[in-house]
Amino acid sequence: MVRVASDTLNSRVPDGPLQQKWDKHLFDMKLVNPSNKRKFSVIVVGTGLAGGAAAASLGELGYNVKSFCFQDSPRRAHSIAAQGGINAAKNYQNDGDSVWRLFYDTLKGGDYRAREANVHRLAQVSNNIIDQCVAQGVPFAREYGGTLSNRSFGGAQVSRTFYCRGQTGQQLLLGAYQALMRQVSTGKVKLFARREMLELVIVDGLARGIVVRNLATGQLETHTADAVVLATGGYGNVYYLSTMAKGSNVTAAWRCARKGALFANPCYTQIHPTCIPVTGDYQSKLTLMSESLRNDGRVWVPSSKGDKRAPDQIPDTERDYYLERRYPSYGNLAPRDISSRAAKERCDAGHGVGETGLAVFLDFRDAIQRDGEDVVRKKYGNLFHMYNKITAEDPYKQPMRIFPAVHYTMGGLWVDYNLMSNVKGLYVLGEANFSDHGANRLGASALMQGLSDGYFVIPYTIGDHLATTKLEKIADDHPACLQAKKDAEDRITKLMGVQGKRSVDSFHRELGLLMWEKCGMARNRSGLEQVIGQIRDLREQYWKDVRVLGSGDTLNQSLEKAGRVADFMEFAELLAIDALNREESCGGHFREEYQTSEGEAARNDADYSYVAAWEFQSGGAEPILHKEPLVFENVKPSTRSYK
Amino acid sequence: MNALLRILSLPAQLLTKVPGLGPFMKVLSTTVGQKILMAITGLSLCGFLVAHLGGNLKLYAGEQAFNDYAHALHSLGPILAAAEVGLFATFALHIGLAISTTALSKVARRKDYAIKETKQGIFILPNGGASNWMMLTGVLILAFLVTHILDMKLKANPGVDYSVATNAEKVIDNEFHAVKAVLSTPLNAVIYITGIVALGIHLSHGVRSALQTLGINHKRWNLLLKIGGILFAWGVAAGFIGLVVWAMAYKG
Amino acid sequence: MSTHLLNLNLRVWRQAGPNDQGGFKTYRLNGVSTHMSFLEMLDVLNEQLIAQKEEPVAFDHDCREGICGMCSLMINGQAHGPDNATTTCQLHMRRFKDGDTVTIEPWRAAAFPVLRDLVVDRSAFDRIISAGGFVSVNTGNAPDGNAILVPGVRQEVAMDGAACIGCGACVAACKNASAMLFVSAKVSQLAILPQGHPERNARVINMVAQMDKEGFGSCTNTSECEAACPAEVSVAHIARLNREYLRASIFAET
Repeated sequence: MVRVASDTLNSRVPDGPLQQKWDKHLFDMKLVNPSNKRKFSVIVVGTGLAGGAAAASLGELGYNVKSFCFQDSPRRAHSIAAQGGINAAKNYQNDGDSVWRLFYDTLKGGDYRAREANVHRLAQVSNNIIDQCVAQGVPFAREYGGTLSNRSFGGAQVSRTFYCRGQTGQQLLLGAYQALMRQVSTGKVKLFARREMLELVIVDGLARGIVVRNLATGQLETHTADAVVLATGGYGNVYYLSTMAKGSNVTAAWRCARKGALFANPCYTQIHPTCIPVTGDYQSKLTLMSESLRNDGRVWVPSSKGDKRAPDQIPDTERDYYLERRYPSYGNLAPRDISSRAAKERCDAGHGVGETGLAVFLDFRDAIQRDGEDVVRKKYGNLFHMYNKITAEDPYKQPMRIFPAVHYTMGGLWVDYNLMSNVKGLYVLGEANFSDHGANRLGASALMQGLSDGYFVIPYTIGDHLATTKLEKIADDHPACLQAKKDAEDRITKLMGVQGKRSVDSFHRELGLLMWEKCGMARNRSGLEQVIGQIRDLREQYWKDVRVLGSGDTLNQSLEKAGRVADFMEFAELLAIDALNREESCGGHFREEYQTSEGEAARNDADYSYVAAWEFQSGGAEPILHKEPLVFENVKPSTRSYK
Repeated sequence: MNALLRILSLPAQLLTKVPGLGPFMKVLSTTVGQKILMAITGLSLCGFLVAHLGGNLKLYAGEQAFNDYAHALHSLGPILAAAEVGLFATFALHIGLAISTTALSKVARRKDYAIKETKQGIFILPNGGASNWMMLTGVLILAFLVTHILDMKLKANPGVDYSVATNAEKVIDNEFHAVKAVLSTPLNAVIYITGIVALGIHLSHGVRSALQTLGINHKRWNLLLKIGGILFAWGVAAGFIGLVVWAMAYKG
Repeated sequence: MSTHLLNLNLRVWRQAGPNDQGGFKTYRLNGVSTHMSFLEMLDVLNEQLIAQKEEPVAFDHDCREGICGMCSLMINGQAHGPDNATTTCQLHMRRFKDGDTVTIEPWRAAAFPVLRDLVVDRSAFDRIISAGGFVSVNTGNAPDGNAILVPGVRQEVAMDGAACIGCGACVAACKNASAMLFVSAKVSQLAILPQGHPERNARVINMVAQMDKEGFGSCTNTSECEAACPAEVSVAHIARLNREYLRASIFAET
């Protein structure tokens, strides 16, 4: 069985009442005086909402920042694809919202598997985020009279979501990107685009640098600093097909995990209910249709099995609006995990629509009748356009076909309250950490968390580390740097040297399919046990038969992918092990053995109210489980109900 | 190409060093500044065209009226000379800027596409409409302009019999007859009509483009501006072509 | 929507590195489903090339849902292919016919040097933003989001400009390789919003200066950029940039 570490993890959550923890902590932390800040350097890997915001804010404070991204520009980070919006407890709509309600909704939405204090801090700073973004020139939607608009989102009964048409992530990211580029112009931030992090450098137990590959030239570079901030996003692409960008990967996080950083709750993966269904085996990615569509779209399937009539030929009496039926109070706005499973349940029962039967309808007929096509177009025009582009169907005339797809990963590197991993000096922000969403993330909360971590948490907490830690100067030729660089080099040589027969993508697809079938929306013991063996076999085959052409000294996209897939092959096993270990259903983790008679997730608070943080063991040995018990002092975990 | 550019930009660079003029020249040495100057000179030349056409319409009023107008104009003496210098400078600037920005744009592309297609709607002119014919029509207009000055101002076209217009006994030239003499030869009619059509094409993009460069663009007025620009261009062209037709048809 | 299979001739620009001459290579690709996106078609080509031990074609792409702006490609002489308001990743093979020859080239501009095959370096855009495409507000010193009211209709115009995805299609499609649409989209967004007003003069002057320095051409108002823009950014923003520029040149304090 699983090897469990004897001592529990210390989350370093400050004492005191929940509402005062963050303020008190801000005062208790040591500061770096302004003139000393310029003596410290920080590496920030990733330029999404978390990384971009962090690099910009740290630069503004006076630290010397080096910012890295694998894309050709920081503005491409996948935060850009977030569509629906960002939550904040402004209560501008006067509908009863508050910091406490946002905190409560987020904690409950996460099925009580998140750390109370972190979630509360997130809700607290949410309002500052909106202010900051508005000041940066982010064009949030506004009312005719000039005040900010809000819309409602899944898992909440108040309108607290701020948005920029269907491109909120893009606009928030560009805000952070522009703040970052401003620091680049002042020289406080040095930008390194087209760089992929391949190794973490640890000196005397402290994270002190990274090894990156310049993807344009193939050169390996070593960069050192006084702290390393990782904001490298999620690992959804372990499923191959996901709504993630093609380049999104687990490599940076996994390289840190291999060096001792604990990886927490990898089995918490979010399956988004509204994505465009798969059409063929060439499919390279899945496209999300924003959850905001569920404000006006109604989800249904035909009441009778295998009904192949065109949707407009099916009268209302023969339609099953199953979300409205099962969850009357939240209806089509039920949280993502619940909506996804409900769709799967209907399709498994033979009610699915479309050629494959793996889809349900999302219908705007009633909204168009009620508000007119123009109003619907104004709200969702770009999403409808995108749907039409991909499917050649007109959602103004016929319902969209949607199906759940991997969208977000709640798990990530373990961090304490300061967002520092167990490796001192290694901070992890945004989707790359595990901290705020528990077992399921609510819509419009990812943007909130990324920006919260980047703008309003790391600038303070990193100072405490820098002010209180003895940091010797180190250079690129430090033995630890040389070793890390050599490790990276050796791996590239090894990958290039296999010279097998199969392409990297073919392996990645195979891995993804295994994961989706055995470790996707529903999991069970025998499937998980089986898939762990299959992953190991596939990994072995990978290192014998992968074909990477060209050389390591040039731009080589096959080689980039090969390194990422190699890490996914290792990481996938951990994901399955975690899923096997967690013998309960919670949020995005659904174990078929643990469900209520109505098919809802059955949580087991007595045995699993903890964060599972895994310590990598080299040589193929089983990872060691470290537990962080979850303590709920303010909210009593209850059975989640959206009925 | 780069060397050519450097030479072309030399005057501008020198001018940026002149005190007082420096900041102004700095603005005009940017691509946006140059286009603004291009627009201003272009619109000024349009103003000249209107005045020129307006004066020439006097041809319809008969010999006496036209000659009176011509003589009045010529009697302005130094004022006319100054205006002509200004006009010449405007032309020179407009042409100079056209050459330098076009050269810069060629450098900016570096390597041409194997295939290049427009993504815009259907145009009457091939290759993406009038906006892509500005250099060619500009060159045609320039060539025509030179001919026109030789014909009308210097009266040096060997193919034209100016004798009815310039008479040794007469103190003052008969401009009415000079115009008629130039325009009534078939070759000249073709040259003039070609030049004027080129002008029409040039202006059909140029006017609207100049307004856009000067920042005049508003959703509510754009259609009007677009139609107005085209009407202006072809109105001016039609006005001048009308004169050629008149001259061909004129008996007496 | 029924599926058809296409057989295509792909004429692809291959270039080993920034200093390589480069040239076209033609590949035959059979059985292309009309449901595929253009990039998925290239994926299939690359699988075929790898099987034949030929190095796959390098091309930039990331989100594959039309928002990150990383994909590019000049397809049969049109930036992002024949559709309007579409990125290459959202272009689908149903737009092509069986037997078609498809010519695929990288963006071509002096300011966008080719790195390999169809991959170009667009960091010039980053440097332009860095020259002034921001609001100088440090984290923490923002007033309440509703402190300054911006009429909804006005904010929508700002959003039209802000929608730019920075892909570079405007430069690629422009006969002058001008970056005016890109630059104006940002200048315009921040000129409309009151938050951008304090720096509006310096912003437009500095961004234009950087644009020139990067070696982009000048704008001749052909509007080809607008037609090629996947985010439907209008040339009205260019007019606004021109106004801002005139204003700044005449009235700026410094």
